[in-house]
Amino acid sequence: MATTITRPKTLIGKAIRRREDPRLITGTATYVEDIKMPGMHYAVVVRSPHAAAKIRSIDTSKAAARPGVVAIFTGQDVSKVGPVPCGASLPGLRVPNHTILATDRVYYAGHPVAVVVATDRYIAADAADDVEVDWEVLKAVADPLKALEPGAPAVHPQWPDNKAFDFHQEHGDIDKAFAEADVIVKQRILSQRLIPTPMETRGVVAEWRAADRALNLYSSTQIPHLLRSMVAQMLGLEENRLRVVAPEVGGGFGCKLNVYAEEALMGFVAMKINKPVKWIETRRENYLTTIHGRGHVDDYELSAKRDGTITGIKLRIIQDLGAYHQLLTPAIPTLSVLMMPGLYKTQNIFADIVGVFTNCVPTDAYRGAGRPEATHGIERMVDILAAELKMDPAEIRLKNFVQPNEFPFPTATGLIYDSGDYAAPLKKALDIAEYEKLRREQSESRKQGRLMGIGMSAYGEICAFGPSPATPAGGWESATVKIEPSGKVTVLTGTSPHGQGEETTFAQIAADELGVDIDDVLVVHGDTALVQYGIGTFGSRATAVGGTAVYFALQDLKAKIKKFGAMLLNSDDVTLANGQCIDNKTGASKSVQEIAAASYRAMQLPPNTEPGMVSTHFWEPPNFTFPFGAHLVVTEVDRDTGAVKVVRYIAVDDCGNILNPLIVTGQVHGGVAQGIGQALYEQAVYDEAGQLITGELMDYAVPKAHMLPWIESDHTVTPTPVNPLGVKGVGEAGTIGCSPAVVNSVVDALSPLGVKHIDMPMTPEKIWKLIRSAQ
Amino acid sequence: MKISGSQRLPFPPDQSYALMQDPEALARAIPGCESLEQTGENEYRMKMKMALAAFSGAFEGKVRISEQQPPSSFRLDVEGSGKIGFVKGGGVLKLEPSETETVVNYDGDVQVGGTIAAVGQRLIEGAAKSMIQRFFEKLAAS
Amino acid sequence: MIPQTFDYTAPATLDQALALIAQGAKPLAGGMSLIPMMKLRLAAPEHLVDIGRLKELNYIREDAGALHLGAGCTHYEVETSPLLRGKCPLLSETAAHIGDVQVRNMGTIGGSIAHADPSADYPAALQALEAKIVLRGAQSQRTVAASAFFLDTFATALEPGEIVSEIIVPVEEAGAGASYQKMAQPASGFAIVGVAARLRRSGGKIAMARIGVTGLAGRSFRATAAEKALENTAGSAAEIQAAAALVAQGVEANSDLHASAEYRKHLAAVYAGRALFAALARTA
Repeated sequence: MATTITRPKTLIGKAIRRREDPRLITGTATYVEDIKMPGMHYAVVVRSPHAAAKIRSIDTSKAAARPGVVAIFTGQDVSKVGPVPCGASLPGLRVPNHTILATDRVYYAGHPVAVVVATDRYIAADAADDVEVDWEVLKAVADPLKALEPGAPAVHPQWPDNKAFDFHQEHGDIDKAFAEADVIVKQRILSQRLIPTPMETRGVVAEWRAADRALNLYSSTQIPHLLRSMVAQMLGLEENRLRVVAPEVGGGFGCKLNVYAEEALMGFVAMKINKPVKWIETRRENYLTTIHGRGHVDDYELSAKRDGTITGIKLRIIQDLGAYHQLLTPAIPTLSVLMMPGLYKTQNIFADIVGVFTNCVPTDAYRGAGRPEATHGIERMVDILAAELKMDPAEIRLKNFVQPNEFPFPTATGLIYDSGDYAAPLKKALDIAEYEKLRREQSESRKQGRLMGIGMSAYGEICAFGPSPATPAGGWESATVKIEPSGKVTVLTGTSPHGQGEETTFAQIAADELGVDIDDVLVVHGDTALVQYGIGTFGSRATAVGGTAVYFALQDLKAKIKKFGAMLLNSDDVTLANGQCIDNKTGASKSVQEIAAASYRAMQLPPNTEPGMVSTHFWEPPNFTFPFGAHLVVTEVDRDTGAVKVVRYIAVDDCGNILNPLIVTGQVHGGVAQGIGQALYEQAVYDEAGQLITGELMDYAVPKAHMLPWIESDHTVTPTPVNPLGVKGVGEAGTIGCSPAVVNSVVDALSPLGVKHIDMPMTPEKIWKLIRSAQ
Repeated sequence: MKISGSQRLPFPPDQSYALMQDPEALARAIPGCESLEQTGENEYRMKMKMALAAFSGAFEGKVRISEQQPPSSFRLDVEGSGKIGFVKGGGVLKLEPSETETVVNYDGDVQVGGTIAAVGQRLIEGAAKSMIQRFFEKLAAS
Repeated sequence: MIPQTFDYTAPATLDQALALIAQGAKPLAGGMSLIPMMKLRLAAPEHLVDIGRLKELNYIREDAGALHLGAGCTHYEVETSPLLRGKCPLLSETAAHIGDVQVRNMGTIGGSIAHADPSADYPAALQALEAKIVLRGAQSQRTVAASAFFLDTFATALEPGEIVSEIIVPVEEAGAGASYQKMAQPASGFAIVGVAARLRRSGGKIAMARIGVTGLAGRSFRATAAEKALENTAGSAAEIQAAAALVAQGVEANSDLHASAEYRKHLAAVYAGRALFAALARTA
């Protein structure tokens, strides 16, 4: 049902430029690093160079003797601070005790062992170099497959099998599906470890106000309120005496949807030294110690009928967890299981997950968090099945899609897909590409010996996290809307945007609903002392859940405006439109600004009505939303070098109603960039001893602008019934749809050579070797 | 990382073998070696300064010789650590006569950790090979 | 990302700078390699002498059939100099391949070659151009050929106290054509393999061939066997391919995370072919 809600004179749907951009592009925004306080001290964390070692002793005397060094704390000193929390729960989950500093043993290269505090950061760094640790180096294991082998070094000695959990889910009759199948295809598919690489690394400033017994914690986080609750608990501090501020946050991609040791550690340090303290993560630390993403080894089997109908899916996931559980680590692969049927109807699924400890930094949510892995898997498998059956990849997808009349659609994994017309974006992408013509071009180019590929993906994703019962810490979101006495509008959102542009989109919603100028609306976020409790920004939820909370707060406010307006106009029949409350009988009117002023002046009050013009709404979503789309990619492989060139990139995304097409397109572009990064360039590489050898931007290839194609972005619009805005979410869509389309395209390019699968990243050397071995 | 290759010494094998067990000769030949002090039978404590272009770093570590089968082979393990990380290398050196000279075939592993592991990855193999070459050049000159 | 303490001097003249360098101070030009190493504490010079601001080292001029570049010229200046683009386009073309805009704005040709990264772009062109490198110390000045300057990974003919002060390249003669072709390492932009080719045609034959290679081995080098194979041929496609195949022959190739030795050797032949074809097309 491709329809758009249209309103007269609306800002919704307009490509309004982001209001946050001037400060970002002029370098005047305030990040954690920009915070300066009188008497501020600086902390540097001493980290393990070894992936696995026992700590025999730590000698801090030389470091402590350096002038300017104020304090040094080791694991023994912080033993009363609670562990770094894991918010995920699974049956039988083994949870290692994750202390904020190592005590007797380290588990990954970069593991924090001590913190040095000094009057400036140079002294602190010099002194950190002086801390001497006597190590007993142990054997490490960095590869999850090797960690599962008998006799592998135990990451945690109490669990010699290196397993953190086994998870199983199934539905339907998988044995029957496979027994009766005309064709079964199998493939091992890797989703490699990736490093999120936000432009701004992590950073914390902690300020202890001893007289007030209050701790102010500034952190580059996606979840200020959740961070406050958990750090307060770790420090044994009353939650209402901890204020968390997320100032400007320079990107997160999920890696700042977490609670890190350093956040509690800086709070501890500030309380101990009674001075403000700052810690800014270096890029090297960021690569070593901030969570990584993905890290899957997936074994897939698909059963199907000869006509291409998919009858069953089996999936065995080996998830590289790293050494610890960060906030959501073990939960991420369960999202892959939820998403494993993709957009297809089959009701027979079988899934196993083995969560494996390795001597590496933990994995956790990274743009898409479990869904890119699942989408990559199913979309590769559908192509492999199509190749086996000699069917066109578009045709086999169209055959298996859930149909528009089947919504709400219960999936085999227990989800209820909200709304969709899955064929629409795929057909649109095929039209834009002129698919038939493109295939003819391809067969011509093959005759010339060229390696041209056409690949597609039809993705679905779980967004708008989410109903509270299905999320670890509540899945609602909050908003307060205030009309100040002057008539200016303030929106306080519990989401904590860090690049998503909600200062613009939420202002569009408020300006439209109230009929005020968008420049009169200020969106405030990220400060627990200013904003009511909220959940945060992740899982493509900010607009669909947080925006909806804003919408409902505005409805309450509009009702109150009308009450005051009716009173002031002496009318019982008023309409609120275009910023005016109008008496329907006389046509007399009062502006929203006048009404707000009157509500504060309170010379007169409507019956049963409080003064002021403030409304707070906590909105609990009844379901997730399920955006979808299709990406189509044309590639050409250089036969001599193996280099892949993306010739065309067509993205047709359906994220429901579009509040601001400029922001939606920007999200798609950024998402595709990260998807291409995974498909072609990025991979976190640990050596056998657990050393991260892609430890800097010199060796870890984040794609740059000149490495990316022009993206032809288009949309279909299928509103969700889950929220009144009809919006589904788009933050992760580009990433999720991208990697399988690119890989499918390159496999298609190499298919004349007999190539059936390629794992990511598809580096030129890997492709060259495939070409050479085929010759 | 595996590393292997061969070098020549202009001495007969028994003389080459003896040279490579002689702490004074080793101290002169190991690039950047500042001191080599015997701590046990066939075990030494070493201080060295490694310099490679703008890189430089002081390391303290151990040298151990084992599996001695004069004059045909022995095992050499070297490990050092400093502020910029650690280096560990070990391998078997096999000596073969070649007319009046000795061909030394080496086969071993090099492991680095810490900051040098992260940024020096693409340089380690080249650096290791060039250090080995300098080591043999200096030994040959002794 | 926090360097150790160091002293910093920005002298007004080259002589002052050389006097400090003679005493052990480390020269700083664009800082594109040194500063990151210092921030990672892999390098900890006690005293930096900023030679990047010296006007004496910043010039590009023609003199007696040769082009003289001060070591302090930025990559951007090399890339965009009308004099170089007209008379030694290979060097400008090579500079355009270095790093990114920010690096080209800051980094200098002298700093780059003194650092002698085995994957840097300039050395390929300087080898193919048979460039001369002028080295200056407080009390000395000497000129060495590029082929004698690049010794090994990060190792050059520079003696303690010396800096690269000037690079001398020839004015290309009529009938010459050149090209630099590389595969960039996607993270750093350095060359996995880069090949610079210079050809001159005369009377339907290739009268001169020069091929400089970077990224392949521990040091840049001239592929003389390939050059010889090409000279006095007509430069047919088959002859170019045959010559290109010689570029990596007998070379002990680098191997790292980004490319194996085997792949690098293959790429060297591919890119040599591409550079030679492009150079030949420009000889017209």
